[in-house]
Amino acid sequence: MFSRSLAFDSPWWLALLALLPVLWALSYRGLSGLGTWRRFGALAFRSIVFTLVVFALADAQFRKTTDRVTVLYLLDQSLSIPEAQREAMRSLVNGLVREHRRDDKQDRAGVVVFGADSEVEIPPIDFNYEMSRIESLVDRRATNLAGAMERAMSLFPYDSAKRVVLVTDGNENAGDALRQARAMADAGVSVDVLPTPLIARSETAVDKIALPSDVRLDQPFEARIVIDHQADAGSSAKGQLRIVRKTGDVEQVISEGPVTLKPGKNVFSVRETIDRADFYTYEARFVPDNAAGDASAQNNVATAFTHVRGKGQVLFIEDWEHPGEFDRVVDGLQREGLEVTLRQSNQLFANLAELQRYDSVVLANTPRTSGFGDDLPGEGGVTVVTDALSGFSDEQVEMLVRNTEELGCGLVMLGGDRSFGAGGWDDSPLEKAMPVDFEIKAAKVTPVGALAMIMHASEIAQGNYWQKRIAIEAVDTLGPRDYAGLLTWQPAGDQWLWGQSQGGMIPVGPSRQNMKARVDRLSVGDMPEFDPGMKVAAAAFAKLSTANPAPAIKHMIIISDGDPSPPTGATIASLKKQKVRVTTVAVGAHGPAGHSTMEQIAKQTGGKYYVVRNAAALPKIYQREARRVSRPLVRELAPAESPVKTLEHEIVRGVSENFPPTSGFVMTTLKDSSLVEVILRSPVPTDAESSTILAAWTYGLGKSVAFTTDAGARWSDAWTEWEDYDRFFSQMVRWSMRPTGDTGNFTISTDVVDGKARVVVDALDKNDEFLDLPAIGGAAVRPDLGSSPLDFRQVAPGRYVAEVEADDPGSYMIVVSPGAGQGVLRTGVNVGYSDEFRDRTTNVALLDSIAGLEAKGGAEGEDIATATGFELTGLDAANEIALSDAYDPYRRDLPPAVASQPIWPLMVLLASCVFVADVFIRRVQVNLAWVGPLLSATKRRLFGGEEREPQAETMARLRSRKAEVRETSTAAGSTRFEASDETPPSADASPLDELRTPTGATPKKPTTPPKQSLASDAKPTEEGYTSRLLKAKRDAMKDRDTKDK
Amino acid sequence: MTDPASDAVHGRHLRGPVSGPIGRRAWLVGVGAAFAAGCLRDAPPVSEGASLARLDKVWGVHGIAGERMHKPRAMAIGPDDRLYLVDFTARILVYDTDGEFLQSWQTPDSKSGRPTGLTFDPVANELLVADTHYYRVLAYTPDGVLKEDRTVGGVNGKAPGEFGFVTDAVRDSAGCLYVSEYGDNDRVQKFSPQGEFLTQWGSHGTDELQFKRPQNLLVDPQDRVWVCDACNHRLKAFSPDGELLFSWGVEGSGPGELYYPYDMVMDPAGDLYVVEYGNHRVQKFTQAGESLGVWGEQGSGPGQLWSPWALVLDSLGRLHVLDTQNHRVQRVIV
Repeated sequence: MFSRSLAFDSPWWLALLALLPVLWALSYRGLSGLGTWRRFGALAFRSIVFTLVVFALADAQFRKTTDRVTVLYLLDQSLSIPEAQREAMRSLVNGLVREHRRDDKQDRAGVVVFGADSEVEIPPIDFNYEMSRIESLVDRRATNLAGAMERAMSLFPYDSAKRVVLVTDGNENAGDALRQARAMADAGVSVDVLPTPLIARSETAVDKIALPSDVRLDQPFEARIVIDHQADAGSSAKGQLRIVRKTGDVEQVISEGPVTLKPGKNVFSVRETIDRADFYTYEARFVPDNAAGDASAQNNVATAFTHVRGKGQVLFIEDWEHPGEFDRVVDGLQREGLEVTLRQSNQLFANLAELQRYDSVVLANTPRTSGFGDDLPGEGGVTVVTDALSGFSDEQVEMLVRNTEELGCGLVMLGGDRSFGAGGWDDSPLEKAMPVDFEIKAAKVTPVGALAMIMHASEIAQGNYWQKRIAIEAVDTLGPRDYAGLLTWQPAGDQWLWGQSQGGMIPVGPSRQNMKARVDRLSVGDMPEFDPGMKVAAAAFAKLSTANPAPAIKHMIIISDGDPSPPTGATIASLKKQKVRVTTVAVGAHGPAGHSTMEQIAKQTGGKYYVVRNAAALPKIYQREARRVSRPLVRELAPAESPVKTLEHEIVRGVSENFPPTSGFVMTTLKDSSLVEVILRSPVPTDAESSTILAAWTYGLGKSVAFTTDAGARWSDAWTEWEDYDRFFSQMVRWSMRPTGDTGNFTISTDVVDGKARVVVDALDKNDEFLDLPAIGGAAVRPDLGSSPLDFRQVAPGRYVAEVEADDPGSYMIVVSPGAGQGVLRTGVNVGYSDEFRDRTTNVALLDSIAGLEAKGGAEGEDIATATGFELTGLDAANEIALSDAYDPYRRDLPPAVASQPIWPLMVLLASCVFVADVFIRRVQVNLAWVGPLLSATKRRLFGGEEREPQAETMARLRSRKAEVRETSTAAGSTRFEASDETPPSADASPLDELRTPTGATPKKPTTPPKQSLASDAKPTEEGYTSRLLKAKRDAMKDRDTKDK
Repeated sequence: MTDPASDAVHGRHLRGPVSGPIGRRAWLVGVGAAFAAGCLRDAPPVSEGASLARLDKVWGVHGIAGERMHKPRAMAIGPDDRLYLVDFTARILVYDTDGEFLQSWQTPDSKSGRPTGLTFDPVANELLVADTHYYRVLAYTPDGVLKEDRTVGGVNGKAPGEFGFVTDAVRDSAGCLYVSEYGDNDRVQKFSPQGEFLTQWGSHGTDELQFKRPQNLLVDPQDRVWVCDACNHRLKAFSPDGELLFSWGVEGSGPGELYYPYDMVMDPAGDLYVVEYGNHRVQKFTQAGESLGVWGEQGSGPGQLWSPWALVLDSLGRLHVLDTQNHRVQRVIV
C-alpha cells in the first residue's frame, strides 16, 4: 500500500556534493600519519558528515506514497429534501461503503450532514460502520453546499486521495458551492454528485400582510394579504383565507371566506378600522381545501403589527390568593383617565410582545410565588401541594425587567406584607430594577433564627442535585446571625454536614461560603429511620438555647421520600417543648404510607407539609421556609405614623402635604445611586436607609417606583379616605409610563437581507435638522417571543441602523427607544418562509458543473445518477446504486497521496554523531592486544598449569609493537611516552606500558608469576585512569632521563 | 491468596458488548468504567476483616442495563444456586454464583418505589418479591413469569391483609406465608397457604413486642420465624403463632453489637450470618446471640462493604454479600 522515498525540497544544495573530491584531496595527506585503515576510515566518516550536512541543507524529506482513498459523503438534510430521500441517503452510504470500500487498502469513509450548517456524522474511519440513523442535528431551513464542502476539506486526512460524494438537490441558498468546488479541485479533491430528484408539487404560501405605516384611530385603512401560489400554469387552488386581529387576550376574526388562487402572486384586501388605541397583531392564514396539494403547510400564515397610540395603558397585577385588595387603586386610576388591565398573578403575560401594549406595569402586593396559604399562628399541618404554587417564572421576571430597561415601560411595586423582600423578590432581577434593595443591610437588633435541615431525597430523580440546590438557597436566604445545620445519613450514621464538633448548628455569617462548599460535596445515603437524625437535631436546638444570641425562631425542614421509619413520640415531644416547628417536604413519596409519616410530623410540631409533585418548586419552598427563620422584613408601626415628604417630585406635585398615617411598611435598603429619589419616608425608624416609603428612579430606558406600604388593605386604612388618593396613585403610575412626547420626527424602516432584519431610523427634529441620538436602543421580539437587543450604529447624520438575526420565518416586532424622554417607536418586520420551499426543481446544472471539475492531477468527478442510470428516489434506488458496478467511489483515478516528513533535524543529528566518530578514529588508537593475554590468563585460571609459552609470545608481540610505535612516533615528529628497555614490567603497569617496550628487545621475566599478577591485578584496576596516566608520564620522564644520561 | 476478583471482572468483559438498546458511546463508556473498576479490583484487598471469612470473588458492574446493576437492595438464592437480585431500576437480575448473567426482568410498576425484599420459596418453586412501595408480595416463576393469581396484598392500610411498606415475605414448611412491613404499623402478618389471614403480631415502637422496620424474615428448620428488627438493632425469633421466643441485640459497632441489621441467613449448623447496613459488615452469631466473628468494613475495595443490604448462603456453603452502595456482590468463604 505504501512506497517510501527520499526527496529534497531544495535540491540545488546537492550541488555542494561536488566538493567531496576536494575534501578527499585535502584530507588525504593530512591523515597520512594514521595508517591505512584509520586514514580511510576517517575519510569515510568525513565524507558522510559532509553529505549529511548537504542533505540537511537541501531540506531532505521522507516521502510516503499511498493509494489509499478517503471518501466523504455529504448528505443534504435541508427541508427541501423529503424524509424518504433522507432515509435513502443513509442507506446509500451504507451500501456504497459496504460494497466498494477496500479494506486491504485501508480506505476511509466519513459522513457529513448539512443544511444551513454542517455536522460531522461520522469522521473518516477505515472500517465499515453501518449508520442506523442520522443523529446529527442541523439547521434544515437552508442549504449551504459550500459550507459542507469546506467542512469536508477540513476532515480529509493527509495520507490518502480525497473524494467527496455530494448527495443533494443542488438548490443552495447560502454560500457559493461552485467556487468552493473549484478550490477543492485545485487541492486535488474529486467531487462526485448525486442529484436528488424533487417531486414537483404545487406550493402555496402567505407571503405577507401589508399594513400602512401610519394607521390612525378611526381612520379606515386597507390591509393587503399577498399569497404566493406556485403551480403549473392554468391550475388553481381553493381554500379559506382567515384574517384575525389580536389585541391582548382578545382575538377577533375580521375576515374569513373562500378564495381561489391563481399561479403566481395573489393579493387580497380587507378594509379595516381601529377604534381603540392599542397594539394590534394581524394574522392571515390560508387553509387549502386540498392539503395534499400544498407541499408545505408551515408557510401558510403571516402576521403583521401595528400600533395606535392613545390613553396610557396600565397592567395591574394583583396576588391571586388575595384578589380585590387594590380595587380602590384600580378605580382611582381609571377615574384619572388611565386604561387599566387587571390581572391576577396566576394569569400572567406569556411573552414580551404581550407587554408592549402597556405603558406601565404595577405589581400590587404580589409575591413572587403564591399558593403557600396564610401563616396562621399556632396552626400546623397545613398541607401545600406544589401544583397549587404559581407565580412569576424566572423568565417572566426577566421579561418585566427587560420591558423596563430596554423597552422603556414603567414598573411600579406597591407594598404589603407579600411584596418586596417579604414576597420573595430578594435576589431576583426585579430587585435590580427597583430603586431600593429588598434586604436590610443595616443589621440592628433583630431576632435570630435557627434552621436545621434533614436531607433524604436521594431517591428522586436528580435527588442530589436538588438537595444541593435547596440547601444553598436556604443558606443564602438566612441572615448572618442565624444558625444553620444540615443533617444527612452517612455510612457512620446521621451526621451534620458542618460544625459537628460545635453541635452541628453554627452561625451562617462567618461560614456561609464554607457551608456552600460543603453542600457542593454533599452525598446523601438512604436513611433507615427519622428518629436518630431528629434526636440529634433536637439536641442541637437544646444546646442553642444556651448560646448567645439564643435563637428566637427554631425551624426544621425534612425533605424525604417518606420511607424512613417514623420518629418516636419522645423525639416529637422534645421538639415541641423547644417550640421547634418541623416542616416536611415529601418528594416522590412512596404513596400514602410515606405521606402520613411526614404529614404527622408537620402536624404535631406546627410546621407545614409540602407535597412536591414537581422538583422545580423545591427552591421556592426552601427560600420561603428559610425566610421564616431569617429576620422579618415587615415593620409594623404602633401607633401609625404619617410619611414625611423628603423631596418635591412630580409624583407628589399638587398633592397635599398631610399624608395620612400608615401602620406598617416593608423594610428595604436604599440603593447607593445618585439616580434614586426618595420622595416619602417613614419617621420610624430614624435610620434613613431602611425607612423608605416612596422612592423612584430611572432604570435603563424606563422608570421604576417603589411604594413600600400598602394602598389601604391593611396598613393604610386612613389613606382610602384621603382626598388626594386617586391623584397620588395616578401621578405615581403616570410618572413611570413610557414617554409619549413627540419631540422629534422619526422615520423607521425595516427590511430583511441574508437572514437578518435591518432596522433603519432617520431622526430629524422639528426644524428638520438631523438629530443626534447617543442613547438610541431597542429590541426585536422574535416569532418565538424571545427578544434580541438592537444595537444601533450611526451610519450618516441622523441615520441609525441596527441588525438582528431573523432566521425564523414569522413576524418580528421592533421596538426602538430614541433616548430618554422620547416616545418609543414600534414597528414590525415580517420574515418570509424558508427559501427551501421556493425551488421546485433539482439544480442539476450546478451539480454537473461541480462534478465536471477536474481534480488536480486526477480525473473529473462523476454524476452518479448518469453513471448508474438510477435516481435516488427511495431505498430501492439507493440499493441499486450501491450495488451497481458502473460506479465506484473508491476508484483509483486520483493521484496517489504523498505524505512528506522533513528529516533535516535527523540528518544534522546523524552528522554530529559521525563527526564524533571522525574525531575518535583520528585521535584514539584502539588496541585489542590485551584481549589475547586476558583470554590465556582466563584459560589458565580455568584449566591450571604454568603455560609460559603464550606469555613469552605475548611479550614478544608487545615488544615488536612497541618498536613499531616508536618508529611511528618518530616519523610523526610527535612526543610519545617512551620506556627504557630496562624498565621492568610491573604488576601495576600503566595502560601505556606496551608503548614503551622497543621492538626486538628481550623481554624480562616477569617478577611475579602470571597467576600472582592476575591476582594482584585486582588492585591496580582499582586505581583511577588519571592516576595511571600520571604514573605512565612519570615513568616516561624517568626513561628519558635515563636515555639522556 | 490469588486474586480471583480481577480474573472474574476481566473475564466478563471479554464477552463483548452488552446486547440490547445500548448505544455505541454508552458501551464504550461502560467498557472504560469497567476497565477502571477491573484495575481497581486488581489491587490487593485492603482488608480481610477478622478471620470469620475470606474473600473469594468480587463481581458486578455498575450500570442500569443488561447485566449491570445499580444499588441492588435484595437478594435470594434458588435451589439450583441461581442468584436473584433486585436493583434500583426495579429489575430482577439473575446470575449464577460466579456472577455470570443469566437473565433479567422488570417488576410491573416502579414509579412509587422499588422492591426491597426477595425470597425464594423452594417448595412452591417461586420467587417472592416484596414490592415494598406497592404494599404487596409478587410471586414469579424462576424464569421470571409473574404469577398474578399468587400476588398478595396491594392495598395500603392497617387492617388484616392490608400492608404498609412490605419488606419481606417467607413461607414455612406448611406453606404459610409471613409478610413483614413497616411505616406506621410495623408488624408481621401470617397467611394460610390459601392466602387467608391467620394472625399478626407487632406494632411500631421499641418495646420487646414492637418493631421498628422489620427488614427481613427467616424461617428456620424448626419453623421459627426470625425477624431483623432493623431500627431497633436486634434480632427476634417467634413461634409460628407469633409468640416471642427470644430477642437479642444491642446497638453498637463492636463485636456482638448490631447497627441496622438488614438481612440474615442460617447455616446448616444453625448459626446465623447477619449483614449490618450501618456497620457495613457481616457478623456470625449463635442462635443465642453470641458473636462468632465479623467480616468486612466500610469501603470500596475488595473485602470492604458499603451499606450492604442482603446476603445468601449457597449450596457450597459460600456467602454472597450484596454490597449495595458499591453496586456489586462479594463471595466469601466462611
